Amino acid sequence: MNKSKAKVAKAKTKKILNVLITYCILIIVAFVFFFPCLWLILASFSKSGSIYSFDGFFPKEYGLDAFKALFTDTVMYNYPKWFLNTLFIAVMSCVLGTLLTILTAYCMSRFRFKSRKAMMKTTLLLGMFPSFMGTIAVYLIMTQFNLINQQWGLILIYSAQAPMGYMVQKGFFDTIPYSIDEAARIDGASNFTVFVKFILPLSKPMLVYTALTSFTWPWSDFILPKMLLIDKDLYTVAVGLMSLGETEFARFAAGSIFIAIPIIVLYFCLVKYMINGMAAGAVKE
Amino acid sequence: MKGISAIKNFFKGLPQKIKGIPSRLSARFAGAKEILTQGNGKVTASMLVMGLGQLMYRQWVKGFMFLFIQIAFIAYFILTGATDLFGFFTLGTREGNAWYGIEGDNSVVMLIMGILAILILILYIAVYISNVKDVYRTQCAVDCLKKPLAFKSEISALLDKSFYKTALALPVIGVCVFSILPIVFMILIAFTNYGDNIVPPALVDWVGFANFGKILSLGQFAPTFFKIFGWNMLWAVLSTAINYFAGLGLALLLNKKCVKGKAIWRAFPILAYAIPGFITLLGFKFMFSYGGPINYYIQQAGGEAVGFLGLDAKWSARFIGLAVNAWISIPSTMLLATGILSNVNTDLYEAARVDGASAWKQFIKITLPYVLFATTPVLISQFIGNFNNFGIFYFLRGGLYVDGYFLASDTDLLINWLYNMSIDNNYYSIGAAISLVIFIITSVISLTVYVLSPSYKQEETFR
Repeated sequence: MNKSKAKVAKAKTKKILNVLITYCILIIVAFVFFFPCLWLILASFSKSGSIYSFDGFFPKEYGLDAFKALFTDTVMYNYPKWFLNTLFIAVMSCVLGTLLTILTAYCMSRFRFKSRKAMMKTTLLLGMFPSFMGTIAVYLIMTQFNLINQQWGLILIYSAQAPMGYMVQKGFFDTIPYSIDEAARIDGASNFTVFVKFILPLSKPMLVYTALTSFTWPWSDFILPKMLLIDKDLYTVAVGLMSLGETEFARFAAGSIFIAIPIIVLYFCLVKYMINGMAAGAVKE
Repeated sequence: MKGISAIKNFFKGLPQKIKGIPSRLSARFAGAKEILTQGNGKVTASMLVMGLGQLMYRQWVKGFMFLFIQIAFIAYFILTGATDLFGFFTLGTREGNAWYGIEGDNSVVMLIMGILAILILILYIAVYISNVKDVYRTQCAVDCLKKPLAFKSEISALLDKSFYKTALALPVIGVCVFSILPIVFMILIAFTNYGDNIVPPALVDWVGFANFGKILSLGQFAPTFFKIFGWNMLWAVLSTAINYFAGLGLALLLNKKCVKGKAIWRAFPILAYAIPGFITLLGFKFMFSYGGPINYYIQQAGGEAVGFLGLDAKWSARFIGLAVNAWISIPSTMLLATGILSNVNTDLYEAARVDGASAWKQFIKITLPYVLFATTPVLISQFIGNFNNFGIFYFLRGGLYVDGYFLASDTDLLINWLYNMSIDNNYYSIGAAISLVIFIITSVISLTVYVLSPSYKQEETFR
């Protein structure tokens, strides 16, 4: 009698200990992930901009000077312009890139044509080359087409390269049953109609996922803009922020927060889609 | 032993595939032979002048379209195509000299335009073949007393039966110009002497495998290459393992029944995930800089400021790199693992619990095999992503050159070296050769891992 009671008590303390340790780890994890973000947020509210006038992680005085300077003092660092540039490039590449990626994935999933296998293998092979191996060649091509120092040049590159990552979307389309296509086709719908009227509405999560990924890439890319944009007025935020030094730390922090917020909001709204999209892309290959 | 047999099986299949090539080829040629022997005069007409046969069948629009393509191609070929193609092989013969006012050949532009000419030629041949096939098809239809297809119905076929042709046209062109052409260009550059002081207006030449010889043996490049390669492998293995298991662990932790408010706990890693990578990296660079907060506390405690990322900070910079990479990558692994864990069959755990299996046993016997199975492709791509992780050390220690390394620092990965060489210092051909070496390494590793992985060996186990 006593023995079993002791056993139950022991199990109980073990369980409580388990819960306690779990929460301890969770708190540590949350701290580790949140603290650098908090540091940047606090830094953006520091009164003097330089990192040398901080008490460790915390600014000595607080104020809104960094934000004010960010949007008004545009002679050296024209942040509002950079922001609009980035937004334009990212939105255009997102629209075009999503369209091309979805079309590619749909064709690869639903049609069986002669060069399909060869195309799939080629994209797999191309994916193994280091990402910016061809950057110099891209630069040369752009000079030939006279697209250096122009935003449309960047948009062209981003959206043209987007279809290379169609595998995740193809995996998703593979899971939509063929019976839908067949039923619609018996009713006399063409493949184009099937795609627009039946498949697209069903693949909203995948559309969202694709749009998000093809938005964030140009939004945070720095290699291509650094190479192709020469005028300071055409810079994207990534290139612009990189040119800020330690004495402009508060301005860097404020600018970072401004560019991170839209993405963070998007991610939190769409996290469900993200998880599903990633899982779909992982299992299917 | 098992793994070796898997590779063996993979290569066992190869001879059969090679054996299959002649029969497949002859099947192709049989089709061509049929057209050549059975085709009537109109087919021959289309062979001579594209679109002529179609016009004779009164398929006006299509006929003129083919004819137009032919004329456009001939015009292109006469105007620039032929010289471009020729230039591809010579890479220029006339050296420019500003002194004498001679405008020379630009070898690099000639190379890229030559590749473009070859791509266009291939495209033209494809159109030509489809033109002949098309007219032969019409002939067969007419022979069977059917009407040749009206243009209208062919257009509507582009939205229906051959919708893929319409839809894939743009992506294929885009990928050809902006992915395939650049990569082909860089592969070819690896076999030239482009770079260093041989840049236009100087003439570039083909040099065969000399660049690979330079990287792998002696000279200024070889020691740096092997040092960087060793660290690169270590980095890729360590960072992939850390990120993978920490992400999986975090997902399992958040999946526990006793954890309340999962959405809130999950929000912190997602926050880290959502911040654009360059901001995180620059932020961490500030954090560990001389004037940064970490050094501030060290100085407050009476110590000397430490250059964590400075010139002679080898291992501290490496550890910071690993940690920062973990900070950035763990959340995405966590999200992925969360998605996959939600698909695990819960009956398995029920059964295991009834049989008295401990939590650890359940993890080892059920969770881990399942997750490993489902994520092998992702694991491979993460490994390659880490192997080629450019951003981390570019932002943390960008532009630093350390003694004993040629144009690189002791934390640089091959891809950083590639960047330093080709983009900052004009060693184009050596850079291209390095990227080919990277390609060979990553593709061999990922192929081997994939062939050894459970997802390849037993595709249907968990479905």
